[in-house]
Amino acid sequence: MSLLIEDLSVAGPQGRIIHGVSLSAAPGAPLTLIGETGSGKSLVAAAVMGTLPAGLSATGRVRLEETELLTLPPAARRGLWGRRIALLPQEPWLSLDPTMKAGPQVEEVLGLVRDEAPAAARRGATRLLAALGLGAQATSRYPFQLSGGMAQRVAIAATQAAGATLLLADEPTKGLDEALRDELADTLRARAAAATVLTITHDIALARALGGTVAVMLEGRVVESGPAAEVLDTPRHAYTRRLVAADPSRWPPADPAPPGAATVVSGRGLACGFRARRLFSDLHIDVRAGEIVAVSGPSGCGKTTLGNALLGLMRPAAGTVARSEAAPTRFQKLYQDPPAAFAPHATLRTALADLARRHDVPWARIAPLLARLRLSPALLDRLPGQISGGELQRFALARVLLLDPLFLFADEATSRLDPVTQQEVMELLRAQVTERGLGVLLVTHETALAKAVAVRHVMLGVEP
Amino acid sequence: MSDMVLDAASAMPRARRAVSTRIAGAAILLALVAFAAFGPLLAIDPARQDLRNMLAPMGGEYLLGTDHLGRSILARLAHAARLSLGFATLALLAAAIPGTLLGVIAAWSGGWIDRALSILADMILALPGLLLVLVLAAFAPGDIRVLFMGVSVALWVEFFRVARASAAGVLASPEVEAARLLGFGPAHIVRRHVAPRIVPVLATLAAFGVGGAVVTISTLSFIHVGVRPPTPEWGNMIVELLPYFEEAPAHALAPAGCIFLLLIALNLLAGQDPR
Repeated sequence: MSLLIEDLSVAGPQGRIIHGVSLSAAPGAPLTLIGETGSGKSLVAAAVMGTLPAGLSATGRVRLEETELLTLPPAARRGLWGRRIALLPQEPWLSLDPTMKAGPQVEEVLGLVRDEAPAAARRGATRLLAALGLGAQATSRYPFQLSGGMAQRVAIAATQAAGATLLLADEPTKGLDEALRDELADTLRARAAAATVLTITHDIALARALGGTVAVMLEGRVVESGPAAEVLDTPRHAYTRRLVAADPSRWPPADPAPPGAATVVSGRGLACGFRARRLFSDLHIDVRAGEIVAVSGPSGCGKTTLGNALLGLMRPAAGTVARSEAAPTRFQKLYQDPPAAFAPHATLRTALADLARRHDVPWARIAPLLARLRLSPALLDRLPGQISGGELQRFALARVLLLDPLFLFADEATSRLDPVTQQEVMELLRAQVTERGLGVLLVTHETALAKAVAVRHVMLGVEP
Repeated sequence: MSDMVLDAASAMPRARRAVSTRIAGAAILLALVAFAAFGPLLAIDPARQDLRNMLAPMGGEYLLGTDHLGRSILARLAHAARLSLGFATLALLAAAIPGTLLGVIAAWSGGWIDRALSILADMILALPGLLLVLVLAAFAPGDIRVLFMGVSVALWVEFFRVARASAAGVLASPEVEAARLLGFGPAHIVRRHVAPRIVPVLATLAAFGVGGAVVTISTLSFIHVGVRPPTPEWGNMIVELLPYFEEAPAHALAPAGCIFLLLIALNLLAGQDPR
């Protein structure tokens, strides 16, 4: 049941991408790959799974028990999927079939992959789901009626159903808040006792919770590996040290706002939500110039709604929002998924030039701003999809800073970035807060991040 | 960075195949357009009857033979190509431009404007397109302007529906919200955000639409409410030559082959979306 990766390299038309990676994992000894986006951790998993994109080829050895995977013909490798190797996809609530109830999705695997009779499949699925704490009520719901954590457990049950003993988990905590993340870590750890679990993540807390072996990847190489506690507590490689230090709980504390700063946005007695479900009510919030106010809470608690109400993008159900007298374009927003906030077919130069033209900003002001945000001018001729998420988020910051904003609503602006990049973007944002007296409303599901950067912290909960 | 490399690498073979089918489609279409543009200049009068040479075989004095009245099939095909392609292109533009504009307006404004336009579109959609053209054509049989109107009225709904649905998705996206917050107006949002998304879809629809319009006008000729003889049109050429199918089967197949080639070309051109 063990997985042994020896001297694995992946090469494409432009040369090698993964350079001689050697790792191993076994039941009870899970393996966690951490590293930034583009470090090659997903390619290692794709090489194990046999799903490398066309044009890329793997060399070296990947052994699953006695089977040498890399030399198997593609059809034979596909035959292993589900039966011996299973993939837990990113954001599993998106990969479950939205038109099918949770239980039948697991039954289907038993029926189609293991050829079990319908009644036996139903019993098997019920047993698997019950073992993960999902009772009859949960399994008769549709995926969109399940919480992120429950959907994840349904997906885990589906990966177990056909008997796979190697589980590849791709960014399993993406999009989950803290409570769900801990729950997932427990589930994966329990699974790791019986199966070989290979997890890809940039979540240090998850890597720590899973234990086993941690391998840190940078630019296609494993720069450090060893027992999780050892690697994460006493990192030897400079990159690992940066990665560990990037955890918000280790950041220096926030500066308080300068005394007497003007309030840029305030909400009084705010309530939002629909008739049946009030997200929050009678909420008072003030954001002053030069401070960061954080709003956190579990998914679906109305964090983004609150920010949108303060920006005037939506009308609150009750209460009033007062914004300081200024042009509406001085109230801006940063988005969770940077590529979704740019026109995908226009280069960044075009995007900035359009903006400069619209607001009569001379191009001469743009260059120093880009330099301040450590953005190379060479990136200007790329499309938004052709640069990293961290770079694009900094472009988004540059874009809003051109308009000299008073208030910025940062909606989970760093939650899709790896820890090092998150720290980089947050530091630049904090510098702007002090330098320009920008007022920021930071919405995040990470309490540690909220505590690290905000002078005030509003916690929203889901009301019953 | 490496993500980009991967995307490019995995997309390449498919994109290349798509490009080669597009080139094939474009080549056939270009040949047909050239035939329509220059054929009538070179060939002889399509109305001249050579009554001693009725149903002349292909490859003789007349390259594609003559019809039952001794008229050159090649010349008639060329003139018909001009009519069919020109008519279809104009009818398509007359449908696509207002259809797309109304679709974007409906998606943008929402509310009662959207509802009113959607209901109108649904009403037209409820009638089969051909039936609609048929009803209009019955008022003034053979009048090309009425045919044109009928085809456009039936076709615009598709463009409206597709433009509205695609534009609505884009308009609700974070990128448009960001653009609005940054102070951009409707013209910029349509040009930078909406148009790049809907134009490829609409181009595909347009290619199929041209094919549909050509088939519609030929079908109408075939059932004697379309273009009237002696004006050559692919559909009415089939009608005219069909009774002589036993003696000269290839003759009736020539106009059918033209329609077939045009549809193949448009499908090759539109069917393979490289994305």
